[in-house]
Amino acid sequence: MTAVHKIGQASYRGPSIFKEIMYGLTAGLIAGGLWKRYHWNLQRRNKEFYDMLERGEISVVVEDE
Amino acid sequence: MIVLEWLFLTIAPCDAAEPWQLGSQDAATPIMQGVMDLHHDIFFFLILILVFVSRILVRALWHFHYKKNPIPQRIVHGTTIEILRTIFPSIIPMFIAIPSFVLLYSMDEVVVDPAITIKAIGHQWYRTYEYSDYNSSDEESLTFDSYTIPEDDPELGQSRLLEVDNRVVVPAKTNLRIIVTPADVPHSWAVPSSGVKCDAVPGRSNQTSISVQREGVYYGQCSEIRGTNHASIVVEAVPRKDYGSRVSNQLIPQTNQTGEA
Repeated sequence: MTAVHKIGQASYRGPSIFKEIMYGLTAGLIAGGLWKRYHWNLQRRNKEFYDMLERGEISVVVEDE
Repeated sequence: MIVLEWLFLTIAPCDAAEPWQLGSQDAATPIMQGVMDLHHDIFFFLILILVFVSRILVRALWHFHYKKNPIPQRIVHGTTIEILRTIFPSIIPMFIAIPSFVLLYSMDEVVVDPAITIKAIGHQWYRTYEYSDYNSSDEESLTFDSYTIPEDDPELGQSRLLEVDNRVVVPAKTNLRIIVTPADVPHSWAVPSSGVKCDAVPGRSNQTSISVQREGVYYGQCSEIRGTNHASIVVEAVPRKDYGSRVSNQLIPQTNQTGEA
């Protein structure tokens, strides 16, 4: 039992620093990428809004009755 | 979904702060749009670093838990990783600095020939607005006071402690110069949706330029606390074709009323 435990301990070499950093960066970039998608979507919607306003398709002015 | 919508999605009836608002108000000027874009760019790096550091922390706690790793390692140096963890974090501020300086210098650009110049004078506790481009028949410029409507006095539909009796009327899609100065103590003229916050410092006039891109009513507040009746700011952007009639029909009578008072 003790020998098995020692063999198990000897085979565990610990985490690979390089792999952990790469996995962390990948996860960070994915999360950041999701945020940028939201940002670009917001920019596109804003641009569409102002383009439609410029073309006269929509108005923010309530006309007097 | 309905619960999420109830919790997070509100429709703003006007360009003012909403209850429980987390983000910025909708941008009405190119400067505010630039401010929001810069915030979103910096937030990307914030999320990147947050996720990266959180993952490394959790993984370190997992790998070096005393049951999994009963004999702690004695690590005192790691030259390569020390170099990397110095260089990479110093590169990130360079990426942030580029859009930041672009926005900063574009905000500082002085509009050479603004269509209209408006002087905003801060008092305790109201504002005086002066349209020096227009003179009345007795050669006096268009001047009127703007008081916050008291808490027990608003009409139905008005926002509490945000409305004023006389709004600043400006034309949309026009370069404006706002000169801010106080009459007594320091004040600050701030309209979040226009991306404007200009301090009013006694003894000097500060200048800011805006160009409101859409018609609407924009609410702001004095951002230098000056006592009990802290003044509100309301800017109303009207279509260019209506601006002239608004000035003559509304602002001139307001000027006369202020003069009589």
